[in-house]
Amino acid sequence: MKIGLACPYTWDVPGGVQVHVRDLAETLIGLGHDVSVITPVDDETTLPPYAVDAGHAVPVPYNGSVARLLMGPVSAARVRRWLRENDFDVLHVHEPTAPSVSLLTCMLADGPIVATFHTSNPRSKILTAAHGALQPSMEKVRARIAVSEAARRTIVEHLGVDAILIPNGVAVGTFRDATPLPTRPPGGATVVFLGRIDEPRKGLDVLLAALPTLVARCEGAQLLVAGPGDCEAVLDRVEPGLRDRVHLLGLVSEADKPRVFRSGQIYCAPNTGQESFGIVLLEAMAAGAPVVASDIDAFRRVLDDGHAGRLFPVGDATGLARALAELLADPGERGRLTDRGRAVVTAYDWPMIAKRIVGVYEMVAGDTPVSVAVGSQPKTIRHSA
Amino acid sequence: MTTLREVPLVVLTVAVIVLIATYLTWLASRLDRLAVRVTDARTGLTGQLALRVAAAGELARQCELAELGEAVVRARAAHAAHAALAADGPLDNDAEAVENNLSRALRSAQVAATADRAPDALHAVDVAAARVALARQLHNDAVRDVRALRSRRVVRVLRLSGRRPLPAYFEIDDALPVRSSGDGRIDGDGDENKPDGGTLNGDMTGFAP
Repeated sequence: MKIGLACPYTWDVPGGVQVHVRDLAETLIGLGHDVSVITPVDDETTLPPYAVDAGHAVPVPYNGSVARLLMGPVSAARVRRWLRENDFDVLHVHEPTAPSVSLLTCMLADGPIVATFHTSNPRSKILTAAHGALQPSMEKVRARIAVSEAARRTIVEHLGVDAILIPNGVAVGTFRDATPLPTRPPGGATVVFLGRIDEPRKGLDVLLAALPTLVARCEGAQLLVAGPGDCEAVLDRVEPGLRDRVHLLGLVSEADKPRVFRSGQIYCAPNTGQESFGIVLLEAMAAGAPVVASDIDAFRRVLDDGHAGRLFPVGDATGLARALAELLADPGERGRLTDRGRAVVTAYDWPMIAKRIVGVYEMVAGDTPVSVAVGSQPKTIRHSA
Repeated sequence: MTTLREVPLVVLTVAVIVLIATYLTWLASRLDRLAVRVTDARTGLTGQLALRVAAAGELARQCELAELGEAVVRARAAHAAHAALAADGPLDNDAEAVENNLSRALRSAQVAATADRAPDALHAVDVAAARVALARQLHNDAVRDVRALRSRRVVRVLRLSGRRPLPAYFEIDDALPVRSSGDGRIDGDGDENKPDGGTLNGDMTGFAP
């Protein structure tokens, strides 16, 4: 099939949607499809051969963080040219409610369009307000995919329509074959944390609170903490005597992420906020790390009710310390969790996920390929005095 | 003769008329596009229904299931009748009743019991049933979008959608059968985050409504 993918966020800025689009594109190409991606990008030289530059995105503060958005005549012209030069069987836009390339593509294209919704945002005032304005574009979408149950609920609430649930894929091979970091802590009792260290919902504080009890029960226990944020401030929150147990890596590159999971004995996800989907757990399981995670809905589902990883009550530092200490002392149980984790994660391997997405493509693709919508061509208007 | 003072008024009137005309043209183009979407979705749905009947017929033949065979014969007759209709003829209540009948037959204990005798044929039936559920969702989504736009007063009063009949939802019970064998399962809800890859081997799965 000839497939066009539209990515709304800047390609060379790290983000989940970009990673999803990249992995999907590469998996589809691997399965023998003809794929082209259109995306905003800052440095064109970072684009892979299958991607096309839609222009520079403008950073806009939105919802407490910075969204980089792109709408304008130059991008519109590029999108039109991209649509004209490729007779796509299917156009697959990602996050089409963001004012960027995906929405633009929806507005300008006509034909079989599939949309994937990534964000879960229970009370988006902007989305509610924009519903009417988005409807003409949204009614062109023939099939909607949500990557998580929470994302699906968001669509149902804001757009009043249902979506097909197909979760994020995991590049299992990349995680399985990664080598541990050369800087990993010595000893065989390291617990890995990955996530923003100054974001309370990621729960690093719960793990730090569990550290004294953990060290008391398991002498060699250490923490390997990877993620952006203020490292000094984190160390200030640790008892002085235990500071040498906490190894802070700071922000790690996308390429080093699989190596982080392989640099310890256990991966810990002490999140206190509702995560929409436990993709990071799946990545850890793909890397073969036994998982200890808070008992929240998304994690419970991914961990198969605790069969594929240990669950502890949300925010319970003592419970966490106990679970970690038991597991660090029991290599046999760790091995069993690793095996079960690997079994769970095969269903999320990208080729499996991509085949399900292609199933949706086949359902919407017809005899006529995607074209530039009639009436969206810029008309030359001659003004006569 | 228009006087010089009336010129702005004329310009304004012309501008308003042009704006209204543009808006109505745009609405009509949306209606046209939605009509194409509904027709395509309907073609997809009838195609998937036909494939489901074919898969069910094969299973009934292999395992000599009388009840399923009967449901298949009725569904085949209904499909043949529909093929004679115009492409945008209604998928009416009779069609719904026939497909419901087949859905029920596919969830019967006799069909579940074929897992040992004809696993491949049963698998084909399950895949076809999941595809029907998906195609029906896409069809009804398209119908809902058309009906929403056509319920607008300006569209109704000015008959912007021409003589096209109002498309109807296709409502059947297409809940997927639960197969408890082996490691996998298909759930209608509750386990949405799991790609239900076990039973159906992941090629066309997890399209629970």
